Amino acid sequence: MKLDNVFKKTRLLKRKGQTAAENRGPEVPEGLVRKCNMCKGAIIAEDVKKGGYICPRCGGYFRMHAYRRIESVADPGTFEEWDRGLSTKNPLQYRGYPEKVAALKERTGLDEAVTTGKVRIEGEEAALAVCDGRFFMASMGEVVGEKITRAVERATKERLPLIIFTCSGGARMQEGIVSLMQMAKTSAAIRRHSDAGLLYITVLTDPTTGGVTASFAMLGDIILAEPGALIGFAGPRVISQTIGQRLPKGFQRSEFLLEHGFVDQIVERPRMKEVLGRLLKLHRDDQRALTAAPEGMRQSLKIPTGMDRARAWDRVLASRRKDRPVGMDHIGALFTDITELHGDRYYGDDQAIVGCIARFQGMPVTVIAQEKGRDTKENIRCNFGMPSPDGYRKALRLMKQAEKFHRPVICFVDTPGAFCGVEAEERGQGEAIARNLYEMSALKTPILSIVIGEGGSGGALALGVADEVWMLENSIYSILSPEGFASILWKDSTKAQEAAEVMRLTAGDLYALGVVDRVLAEPSGLTVEDIQAVTEPLAAWIREFLEQYGEMDADALVAHRYERFRRM
Amino acid sequence: MMIKKVLIANRGEIAVRIIRACREMRIQTVAVYSEADREALHTKLADEAVCIGPAPSKDSYLSMEQIISATVVTGADAIHPGFGFLSENSRFAKLCRECNITFIGPDAEVIARLGNKQEARNTMAAAGVPVIPGSEDAVYDAQTGKEIARAIGYPVIVKAALGGGGKGMRTAFCEEEFEQSFQTAQTEALNAFGDGTMYIEHFVLDPRHIEFQILADNFGNVIHLGERDCSIQRNHQKMIEESPSVALSEELREEMGKAAVRAAKAAGYMNAGTIEFLLEPSGRYHFMEMNTRIQVEHPVTEWVTGIDLIKEQIRIASGQKLSYKQEDVHLSGHAIECRINAEDPAHGFCPSPGTITDMYLPGGKGIRIDSAIYSGCTIPPYYDSMVAKLIVWARNRGEAIRKMQSALGEVIIEGIKTNVDYQYEILNHPDYLSGNIDIGFIEKM
Repeated sequence: MKLDNVFKKTRLLKRKGQTAAENRGPEVPEGLVRKCNMCKGAIIAEDVKKGGYICPRCGGYFRMHAYRRIESVADPGTFEEWDRGLSTKNPLQYRGYPEKVAALKERTGLDEAVTTGKVRIEGEEAALAVCDGRFFMASMGEVVGEKITRAVERATKERLPLIIFTCSGGARMQEGIVSLMQMAKTSAAIRRHSDAGLLYITVLTDPTTGGVTASFAMLGDIILAEPGALIGFAGPRVISQTIGQRLPKGFQRSEFLLEHGFVDQIVERPRMKEVLGRLLKLHRDDQRALTAAPEGMRQSLKIPTGMDRARAWDRVLASRRKDRPVGMDHIGALFTDITELHGDRYYGDDQAIVGCIARFQGMPVTVIAQEKGRDTKENIRCNFGMPSPDGYRKALRLMKQAEKFHRPVICFVDTPGAFCGVEAEERGQGEAIARNLYEMSALKTPILSIVIGEGGSGGALALGVADEVWMLENSIYSILSPEGFASILWKDSTKAQEAAEVMRLTAGDLYALGVVDRVLAEPSGLTVEDIQAVTEPLAAWIREFLEQYGEMDADALVAHRYERFRRM
Repeated sequence: MMIKKVLIANRGEIAVRIIRACREMRIQTVAVYSEADREALHTKLADEAVCIGPAPSKDSYLSMEQIISATVVTGADAIHPGFGFLSENSRFAKLCRECNITFIGPDAEVIARLGNKQEARNTMAAAGVPVIPGSEDAVYDAQTGKEIARAIGYPVIVKAALGGGGKGMRTAFCEEEFEQSFQTAQTEALNAFGDGTMYIEHFVLDPRHIEFQILADNFGNVIHLGERDCSIQRNHQKMIEESPSVALSEELREEMGKAAVRAAKAAGYMNAGTIEFLLEPSGRYHFMEMNTRIQVEHPVTEWVTGIDLIKEQIRIASGQKLSYKQEDVHLSGHAIECRINAEDPAHGFCPSPGTITDMYLPGGKGIRIDSAIYSGCTIPPYYDSMVAKLIVWARNRGEAIRKMQSALGEVIIEGIKTNVDYQYEILNHPDYLSGNIDIGFIEKM
C-alpha cells in the first residue's frame, strides 16, 4: 500500500487577534552552531571546541583561531607575544579599507591576520607565528609581512627555531603591489635564518594559497600539513575556470601535496604538539652527542677474511630472498625517535626510498634507505625497491638538510637498480643519479652507506658515495644484474649463474677489490626474527664510525671521501 | 501563547500519536524522518516532513543539529520529543530554549537534575518521599562498598551513577558475592558510560513496579493521575501495563499519590512526568526514579482518567493552566496495555525486522490500537522493535483481561515474527489472572 498524499492535512484553527509578530519563530542564535567545511553539517559550537576543532561527524578540521591554536601546542602560559599594534598605512589609499580593518580588529579582538611571539613546546623554546583566517582570510598585507619578518629576524638574532602555522587566501588586494613585496621580504628574512643554521618548520593549515604558499609557507626545512587542508598557489576555482575542466577529487589537498612531494608529513591535530616537540628536540645543538654505549653492546667483529666459498649465485639468491630484512626492518632495529620525511619538493614522494630523521644512541642522524617492502602489497607500493628520480631527489634533499644541521647520514642500499621506465626517463633518471654522486662527494657531514641486500648498479651508487661502504655477508653489489650482464656480453640471460661467478659481486670479492670497507658476517637465512644477529654488531660499528668521522673537520672529511673514490 | 506548529522529534507509533493529538487541536505538524523511514506512517501523516539523515539513530533521530535545523527551516515553534531518543536529553532541551523553540517537556535543568540518580534520590529524600536505603555518597572501590553494604543490609544492588537499561547493575545476596558483583558492574559502567561512579542500595525483593503519572503546569499546580502497574517486564523492558493496580488499596493509592505530587514539586517539575516506585509485598514503597517524558504506557492512564496526556502536555507547554484539579481525577474501570514487538520469542526475543506483507488488527468497544504499521510497510532494523500497543478498557480487571485475550487472539501480522502469542500466554497465566505478579513474573513463568 502506498501512502503518498492520501491523508488530509490539518485543518487550521482560525484564531482571533493573532499577528505574525507575536512570536519571532525559531532561530539559531549566532555562534551556537558551526558549519563543518568537509561534511557541510552544522555542529554545536560547544562540541566543536570540546573535540579540539575536529568535526565529531566526519573528522573534518575546523579552522582554528590563532590563540586557540597557540594554546593547543604551547606549554601552558609560555606564550609571549611580539610586535602587537602595527597598523597598515593603507598604501593604495584604498577607500574604506582602514574602516574595514578597524571593524575586524573590533570584532575578532585580533591585532592583524598573524600573531607572533615566543613559546615553549614540550619544553623547547621557539619563535611562533600563527595566521588567523578571520582577518581578511589571513591575506598578507604589509603588517602580516612585517610581523613575520620581524619574528624571523628576532629568531635569527636570538638563535631560536621558527614555526609558522600558515593559513591564507594570499596577497591582500587592498594593498596591491606592497602586498606582493611582502613575499620577497619574508622569504629573504627566512633565507638569513636558514643561513644561520636554524630550523624552520611550517605547518600548512586550511587554506594556504597564493602569495603565502609562494613564499614563507613552502620554505620550511620541514613542511607539515594538517589533514585535508587546501594548499595551492592558484585557487581551485580559478584553475577550473581557466582550463575549463573539472578538477580531480582531492586536488590541492594535503594528501595530494604529500603524494606530489611538497609535504614532509601530514600530522593530525592531537599529535601536533608531540611531533613539533620531537622535531625541536632533534634539532637542539646541545643534544647531538652519542649517549654512553649501551651495556653489553657487542664488540665489533673481525672482518670475515677467509670467507666461505659459497657460490656467488647462492649469494645472489640470498640477497633477493623474500623474507630477507628490508630497509625499514634495519631502521626499526637500530634507531629511535624515527620521524619520516617525505617528498622531493619537485614532483613526487617515491616510496622506494625512505627518509627519516632519527636518533642513533642519542645522536640525531638522517637515515635514507632503499625500501622493497615486506609483502606483495608493499612491494608494489615501493616499486620493488627500484627508485625513481623523485626518490633520489628526496634523498639528496634530506642529505642537504642533514648537512645544514650537522647530522651524519646513514644510507641503506637494497635495490635491483634504478627504475627502468618512460616516466623515470622523462623526469631525468640519469640526471638525478649524477646529481647525487656530485653532491654527495662534497657533502660536509659524515656519510655511511651499508649494502643490506641488492646493490644494483647506478641505482645503488646514488646512495653509495660515502666515507665508508659496508656490506652484509650475503648482499651483492654490481655493475648490473647477472641476468643483464649475461644478456649484454653473451646475448643469453639464462647464463646468469655463470655471470654471477665471474662478476665479482659478493661482499668478499668487493672487500678484496677495495670497493667496500667492512663486511658483516650474518647467519644463514637471515630473517626479521634474527635481525639482531646483524644489527647488534652493526650498531657497534656504526658507533665507531660516528665517533671516528664525527670528529673530523668538514674539509678533511670531504677530502677523505674524494680520495676514497679517486683511488678506484 | 498557543503553539501553532509542532515538530515531532521521534518516529513510530508515538510520533503518530502526537501528530493525531495535534491534528485534533488544529496545530500543524512537522515529521522528521531518517532515510530508513521515508515511507513510514508518521512521515506521511504529518503536514510536512523533513529528512534528517541516514538510518542510524545517531545520525538522524539523535542528531540535535539536524533536528534544530529542520525546526528552523519549517518554522515550527515547538518540539515534542516523544520518548527515547532526545526526550530526556537536557542539552537538547537547553538548545531548544536557546533557539527560541518550545521544548514540550520540563526545563533542561530539571531533566539534568532528575537524570542524575543520586541527585534525584537526595531531592526525594529531602521532600520526605521514601527512598531505598543506600549509600549517601558515590562509591569508587569495592572495599568501601563492602562496608556500606554491611550497614544497609543484604541483599544489595550495585548501580552505576550514569546507568540505565540494566547496564552497570549487579546484585549481591551476601558479603561473599559482593566484590565480584561490584567489579563486574563497575567494569560494565566504565565500558558503557565511561564513568565508574557507583552507588549501593538495599535490594528490594519481589517488588511490584508501580508508577504514578504526574501533570504539573507552570503555575505550581501538580496533580497525579493514579498509578500504573508495570510489573510484567522482561530484561527490564515492560511488556504489559495496567491501571489501576490490584495491589493498591484506596488509602495506599492516596498516600503514594501524595508522595508522587510531593516528589514532583520538590523537583520543580513541569509538564507530564512519571514517578516510579518499587512496592514491596508488605505495602512498603520506595522511590526509584522520575521519568521526565511521556511514557509508552500512557494510554492506560488516559483511559481510566479520560484525560488526553499529549494534549495536556501541549497545553502546559503553551503556558496554560492545568485543565483538571486533583479532585476532578477519578479512576474508572480497568485498562490494560500489551506491547506488540517485532521479535521472535522462540529465538531469545531477537528482533525480527522486515516487511509486513499482510495484517489485520482487532477493533470494537473498549479496544484501542496505537501503532504506525500498515500493510506493506517495512520495519527497519535500526530502532526499537515495538510496532504496536494494544490497549483495552472494561469496567473491571476480569472483564478487561477477557477483552485482551479476545483481542490478542484476533491480531494477524504477517511477514515478521511478533510476541503476540507470548502475550496471549501471559494473559492466560493463573498468576496473572489472580493479580499475583511482581517484577520477577516473566523469569518465574
